[in-house]
Amino acid sequence: MLTETIAAISTGGTSSGINIIRISGEKALEIVSKIFTNYAKLDHQKIIYGKIINNNTSTIVDEVLVSCFKAPHSFTGEDVCEINCHGGRKVTLEILKLVIDNGARIAEPGEFSKRAFLNGKMDLSKAEAIIDVINAKTSAQAKVAVNQLSGGIYDKVETVRDMLVTLMAEIEVSIDYPEYDYEEITINKLTERLDLIKKEIDLLIKTHNDGKYIKNGINLAIVGNTNVGKSSLLNTLLNEEKAIVTDIEGTTRDVIEETLIIGNLVLNVSDTAGIRETDDVVEAIGVNKSLKAIDDTDMIIYLIDLSRGLNTRDIELLEKIKGQNKPYIIGLNKVDISREKIEDVKSQLGNHKNIICISSKTGEGIVELKDTIEEIFNISNIDSEESRIIVNERHKDLLEKARNSVIKAKEIAEMGESLDVAAIDIKEATEMLGNITGKNASSDVVNKIFEKFCLGK
Amino acid sequence: MIEYKDMDYDVVVIGGGHAGIEAALAAARLGKTTAMFVMNMDSVANMPCNPSIGGTSKGHLVREIDALGGQMGLSADQCFVQSKMLNSSKGPAVHSLRAQIDRRKYHAYMKQVLENEQNLDIIQAEVVEIRTEGNKVKEIKTKNGAIYGCKAIVVATGTYLKGKVVIGEVSYESGPDGVFPANELSQSLLNLGIELRRFKTGTPARINVKTMDLSKMEVQSGDEDIQSFSFMNEENKELLSRPQIDCYLTYTNEETHKEIRANIHRSPLFNGSISGVGPRYCPSIEDKVMRFADKERHQIFIEPMGDNTGEMYIQGMSSSLPEEVQKRLYKTVPGLENCRFMRSAYAIEYDAIDSTKLSLGLKYKDIDGLYFAGQINGSSGYEEAAAQGLIAGINAAREIDNLPEFTLDRSEAYIGVLIDDLVTKGTNEPYRMMTSRSEYRLMLRQDNADLRLTEKGHAVGLVSDERYSAFVNKKELIEKELERVASTLIKANDNTNALLESLGSSTIERGTKLAELLKRTEVTYDNTASIDPSRPVLPRSVREQVEIQVKYAGYIKLQQEQIDRFKKLEEKKLSTEIDYEQIKGLSLEARQKLNKQKPTSVGQASRITGVSPADISVLLIYLTQSGKKEV
Repeated sequence: MLTETIAAISTGGTSSGINIIRISGEKALEIVSKIFTNYAKLDHQKIIYGKIINNNTSTIVDEVLVSCFKAPHSFTGEDVCEINCHGGRKVTLEILKLVIDNGARIAEPGEFSKRAFLNGKMDLSKAEAIIDVINAKTSAQAKVAVNQLSGGIYDKVETVRDMLVTLMAEIEVSIDYPEYDYEEITINKLTERLDLIKKEIDLLIKTHNDGKYIKNGINLAIVGNTNVGKSSLLNTLLNEEKAIVTDIEGTTRDVIEETLIIGNLVLNVSDTAGIRETDDVVEAIGVNKSLKAIDDTDMIIYLIDLSRGLNTRDIELLEKIKGQNKPYIIGLNKVDISREKIEDVKSQLGNHKNIICISSKTGEGIVELKDTIEEIFNISNIDSEESRIIVNERHKDLLEKARNSVIKAKEIAEMGESLDVAAIDIKEATEMLGNITGKNASSDVVNKIFEKFCLGK
Repeated sequence: MIEYKDMDYDVVVIGGGHAGIEAALAAARLGKTTAMFVMNMDSVANMPCNPSIGGTSKGHLVREIDALGGQMGLSADQCFVQSKMLNSSKGPAVHSLRAQIDRRKYHAYMKQVLENEQNLDIIQAEVVEIRTEGNKVKEIKTKNGAIYGCKAIVVATGTYLKGKVVIGEVSYESGPDGVFPANELSQSLLNLGIELRRFKTGTPARINVKTMDLSKMEVQSGDEDIQSFSFMNEENKELLSRPQIDCYLTYTNEETHKEIRANIHRSPLFNGSISGVGPRYCPSIEDKVMRFADKERHQIFIEPMGDNTGEMYIQGMSSSLPEEVQKRLYKTVPGLENCRFMRSAYAIEYDAIDSTKLSLGLKYKDIDGLYFAGQINGSSGYEEAAAQGLIAGINAAREIDNLPEFTLDRSEAYIGVLIDDLVTKGTNEPYRMMTSRSEYRLMLRQDNADLRLTEKGHAVGLVSDERYSAFVNKKELIEKELERVASTLIKANDNTNALLESLGSSTIERGTKLAELLKRTEVTYDNTASIDPSRPVLPRSVREQVEIQVKYAGYIKLQQEQIDRFKKLEEKKLSTEIDYEQIKGLSLEARQKLNKQKPTSVGQASRITGVSPADISVLLIYLTQSGKKEV
């Protein structure tokens, strides 16, 4: 609980050139000592330059600045280290992973703040503000459930938890009523059922990848020739939404991307280099860049200047995009000045779907474009029928712990230990899942408290 | 009616059952002049239900009572007619001792223990009134008009309060086993503002063995290698080699179930004429048949009521059906075809209190000096009652001495789990102890109850010097042997490997520490004696501890970490003076529940139903803030 060392990316919301990974707890310094080259120089209230190294692969992950605050003179009142790294989601996540691998666990939403309170590091007004938020959370529990845990996933986790509870009950009955003629569960049956449960948990963990669309955002690339209006489309999209492009719980994103929210979706939009038309060499580079963008992204808006019509490169690229099985939308821009060409271009596009006429200038078609994006992600890429998506890192962490306990229980059973020993781990797994759905009677409920709070703030 | 003033006592205990006995003995042994009032002198320490003590988790309770200096284990050891370690094929955490008891002998033995206790008087009289002065108990009044002054009272009335026996359409006022009920004390409790509710339990018929055909049943024998409840009797060869009596197992069948279904409308439990809440844990036979309709047969255990009696207890056939139906349905069971009843099965309803009104030391929070223990608190079972009686008795004595309450938490003892469940969560049905109720089962073993609790019992003052020095000695032997096992190197020679092979264990190539070998499932302390020449001669209990502590070291460590986490919130104390209405941010429900129960720690608060994690965080913030203000 409070003695565990926690870590999280504490920047987020808006894009920034620097990301900060905050580590708090008894082991903070120890963890940093294992991954930071210049640890020896680190001291209270100092910021030290150095490199983060991955000792397993002997590679340098990033050049960073690390600051250190020793207990009790820190934000949380515990030993705190902050790693300032060069933005970039991949690098940031890799460093966070190193920190976790060396003994920290992912902080729960608001957990840094919680520790600050508990260690008396916040004044009354701040504390009361937090109390209000807690209450807001309590009264808006349903809403939180929607945000953090969709109905489908809740049911699914509960189902798996129920499988564990049932298994527990079967073991317990043979312990508490040993002389009764209930059939004692055999080792084979037990391991069979644990396997089944593990599979279910695995499936849930897998959905985390889908869930990352929601948590980390969907990568959307706007691709097309130069001067077809890619940047102005981006600006149009951004201008309208800017007011709400902040404070997304736990989101981290690449600095070079802009963030856009459409409905429930967070989009990381990147504007790719346009495809040059003249110089052969440069053209090749342009095409390669666009192709790479197409490879790396989750979704594409292919933009065409309606007034200029299609060229052969457009046709080629669109075929490639189609071949990738990624969702894409074809935007026919500048519809306000060339409405007469719509039918012609559409017929050239043949069987491509999701063709939308837009105008960055007048805003025409923008709503339809957004609706289409939303529709694509809500219907095709995410299993909306069951919404089986694990969004929250903490949930994923708990699922992984539950899975490990299930595996351990199975090993113990196979080793020939008695059922009551295996029951310890089965109970642990049950509690982990209970921590996700909020349905547990365990005494360390405090860990679940500040859920509503943004990660790492 | 004429009243007269009799003596003053420090402590008055109302009831002479398993709770009352432990309470009275504890108070008296802690130096308090004590009077124990009983409805009938011949019913002291009675077992109106099954003639056995212990069983899963209950065996743990008995060992814990013993370690703390209580009486139940010592007396059970003297009076058992069969002894069995249940779950011995499972892990050590769930081994549970159960003994069939000669109930008349147990009564006689206990009565004598009570009689011989220096500071204790046993008095046959019905207590009809508890009187208070200010907010504190002052005296009690008996039905015959005697007034006894007292500083503390333990109410341990079991199933006697407004007891009502129900057998089919017949019902009458009665305590258990045909003893008079206590009909007047309930009103006195109500007058003190104590709310009462009705609980229900039941018991099967008793049958004369000469009318049974035991050859149609399976024999259930005791252990050959008997273990004692009391740590004082671990090495008492004479006691542990006594001859034993068998129990028997038979089954109901379709005929039985037909008989029940045909008459179910006459069951007061099903037609609604019993209002009390019965336990799920020991349902009546009609309950079992109706609720589990697809179960083809139910087990019936036949248990002797003692050494010198032919009366047999028919476990599994408790019923509140009319007597004539009972007799018919018992006769459908193989071996009971010609059975003749000595006592009929019955259900009994009685008054109980809301246990959430009690502190963790079992004091009624609104009245000083008033304690409750046993079935009146909503529990069931002799062992559960005795455990509560012990704690209530200790605390009644401590309150007089102005000492803080003695409590055990969930990580220290099953007694702690039991009382915390009753007091913090409350119960809506008679509460039975179960091993699965304990979060830290691997630590709370019956084999280490003395290691867990003897020190505490000694600090309280209940553990005799004799017991304490035996304990210290045992502890030293265990520690020394653990050290030796950890450092002893077993050579990788033919001798060793031959033994390992014969045990089905893999051979070793290098010298290996004995402790490492003991971690293997198939290797035990005892079966490695031949390869461990420097091994000292040690008592069984010491060898057992060494083996368990080595073999389960990994799990024990894990559990200890869980306990450390648990303790953090337990150690965040809450004053009972806090007015939760004044704490901004608590939910309405939490304010009400917390004000009603006044938990003593944040940990306890977190287990109260209706108190959410958000409320707990508010409490933590409140504690931090108020702590700051004080500084």
